[in-house]
Amino acid sequence: MPPSHATKITAVSAALVLGGLGLMAYKVRALGYVVSDVLPVTQYEVTYAIELDGRGGEVKVRSFLPSSDAHQHVTEEKDVALGLHLTQAMEGANRVATWTGDRVPDGAQIRHTFKVLPHRMRYEVSPDLPVPTAYPASVAVSLRPEKEIQVDAPEIAALLGRLDAGQGPALQRLTRIYQATADLRPRPFKGTTDALTALRLGEASCNGKSRLFVALARKAGIPARLVGGLIMTPGTKKTSHQWVEAWVAGHWVPFCPTNRHFAELPEHYLTLYVGDEPLFRHTADVNFDYRFETHATLIPSPAAKASSTSFDVWGLFDRLHLPFSLLRTILMLPVGALVVVIFRNVIGMPTFGTFLPALLAASAGETGAAWGVVTVVIVVAAVAAVRWVLQELELLHSPTLAILLAAVVFTLLTTTLLAERLGLAPLTKVTLFPIAVLAICAERFYLSLTEHGGRAAGQELAGTLVVTLACYVVMNSLALQVLLIGFPEVLFLVIAADIYLGRWVGMRLSEYLRFRGLLRREASP
Amino acid sequence: MTVVRALRERLGGLLARRARVVGINRRNLTLVYPNNRRRDYPLADDKLLAKERFLAAGVPVPETLATCRGLFEVPTTVDALVGHGAFVVKPANGSGGGGILVVGEWDQVAGAWRRAGGRLLTPLTMARHLADIVFGVHSNQLEDRAFVERRVSPHALFAGLWADGLCDVRVITLRARPIMAMIRVPTAESDGRANLHQGGLGIAIDLASGRTCRALHRGRPVTHHPESGAPLLGLDVPDWSAVLETARRAAAAVPLGYLGVDVVVDAEAGPLVLEINARPGLEIQNVLGLGLGEALAAAAVAVAP
Repeated sequence: MPPSHATKITAVSAALVLGGLGLMAYKVRALGYVVSDVLPVTQYEVTYAIELDGRGGEVKVRSFLPSSDAHQHVTEEKDVALGLHLTQAMEGANRVATWTGDRVPDGAQIRHTFKVLPHRMRYEVSPDLPVPTAYPASVAVSLRPEKEIQVDAPEIAALLGRLDAGQGPALQRLTRIYQATADLRPRPFKGTTDALTALRLGEASCNGKSRLFVALARKAGIPARLVGGLIMTPGTKKTSHQWVEAWVAGHWVPFCPTNRHFAELPEHYLTLYVGDEPLFRHTADVNFDYRFETHATLIPSPAAKASSTSFDVWGLFDRLHLPFSLLRTILMLPVGALVVVIFRNVIGMPTFGTFLPALLAASAGETGAAWGVVTVVIVVAAVAAVRWVLQELELLHSPTLAILLAAVVFTLLTTTLLAERLGLAPLTKVTLFPIAVLAICAERFYLSLTEHGGRAAGQELAGTLVVTLACYVVMNSLALQVLLIGFPEVLFLVIAADIYLGRWVGMRLSEYLRFRGLLRREASP
Repeated sequence: MTVVRALRERLGGLLARRARVVGINRRNLTLVYPNNRRRDYPLADDKLLAKERFLAAGVPVPETLATCRGLFEVPTTVDALVGHGAFVVKPANGSGGGGILVVGEWDQVAGAWRRAGGRLLTPLTMARHLADIVFGVHSNQLEDRAFVERRVSPHALFAGLWADGLCDVRVITLRARPIMAMIRVPTAESDGRANLHQGGLGIAIDLASGRTCRALHRGRPVTHHPESGAPLLGLDVPDWSAVLETARRAAAAVPLGYLGVDVVVDAEAGPLVLEINARPGLEIQNVLGLGLGEALAAAAVAVAP
């Protein structure tokens, strides 16, 4: 006897679910996929925004740019400096950047941008690790006194004695020095504080605390140095930060007495240079202003990228030089379509077609959800206006739609033009909306308007926008995106859900409202 | 505890009643898909095709006065109509009443037809309308055919409900067995269309007696016509057994198994089939105050030996 329809459905669904889950389990257990890698990580985009008045003369600006290391991965550096030329050189461990220019006018701007993917670093210092008596020459430099790090001052020696930090294992000395400097009263002082001043005042900002730490550590026989950098909190600010590294067991180990990080470099710290240096040096007789602009975005973790080895779509896209956003869109479309199915078949919300909300949500990736909705509303309004005019002409259907397409294009260009004039940056991106998707949306709206009237078309438009927003939220969930890239077999589960909904005969939520009278009635005799 | 029990009973009652109401998902999966093959849909969508089937099977339909299969046939069609009156021009594949032109008597002096309200319709305008239809203006496809039917003069009962146009009886049939029936009445509010969502009136018919038993307007039960005040309940549909038999025969004439058959009752010719719908709407449940599930069960009981 041939299997019944229901048996076939159950068998296919079970095969999809078991196959999907089985592949995932196999990849986790046998291929070593790590599920926690699927969580996204924060990538920062940092901009040095420098403005200066060159007064038509020669200008030179010197600063430091970050290098990639175990703590931070720096990519996509971009330099926009009109009339100024950037040269880079390594000075020791530091990347020194110099912008030079002749006849630099007033209001010259430098914008140097780079992306950073940082990691938190933590070091364990063994409690009985002794302090060595000799160091390699390159490290021993960091034992010497400097102008503002007065290692040989008697007050430093005295403090070290009071702290009992001049002897014993390295961990004990560092802990006591760290504690003493961290306990200095904080003071939001922008200028330079030397080690002795910090000690005498009992209060200091980051650079005073750090210099005192370095002076005490050097006096205690542990090489130490200042580190200059930024704390990457999203927004615009002018403050840089300084902390300390001490040479322990062959490593430069970070300490930040200001924000109390012991043998630890937090994720959002950006290292720019080592040594007691100012972040900017520039030609003396110019007005000089700078700020740091930081943006944070969540991106898929590189670990997830590296762990996708079988059916590695990510690697495929990399080799073909296709953008990550395209892969993301393609993989998330079936998920978006499932969201639409749920809204249509379970909730009973009318939309323009099954795929359109998912396609609109994918298109809104460039503009963001809110501006995506604005774009659709603008296009639909234009379509309604054009229809009003065309109705009088009584044209055939297809040529009418061709005119609508032209109207959509014209509307998009006008919107972009106006948005640029008004300085509405996000709205200028509406031209990036795939025109085909908007054209289909316009056509659907037009048909609905013609066949079902303004009320129904309005309802379908509202439903489309709501479902588009829902699709946007789901399709832009980074965790879900990375999950699908690492485990494309999740799509089997999506198909299984589609099959379930394809055989679901339950009432739509909207039908409970529509038939509420019937549902309230007692059974007829 | 009693609150919990009461809630549970209410929920249980709701779930039990829910099984009697058929939603769109259930209608599609259990009624439309198993009974109506996709390839048979043109029979329901194309009124001329359906009409051919009905004529072949001897199902009464309004008399076709002319058909116009393309632009080349427009002049001959207009010529054939000049001098005649009281007909309706329709697109074969129209939907929602689009493109339907109701024409009155021929006015020899004016050389034009009279329309409702005394407006004139010249042969030139008629030619343009026919051209529009064959061009597909009213049917979302590249081309269509137009056909001209003798105007039905509705039986007094229906004429009393809506004087300006046509009320029809929508009979839901499953495998040619009538399941539910209602009268669809256009109103001024619905702009002359019998669409219940646009303010049309639905009047439930008791299948066994052919008597109207319930009426719904904008989702609310009413007893009188919202515009004319005419009573709506307890009316006897004329020729009821003939209406049912006509619906049954129309359904049997096509290979579609689940249908909405639209029947009109002509004052002289009796029941005539206007068109059939392969995805009849579910609003009839609200009009009758009866779930389609219950109606199906009742129909099955009725035919059981």
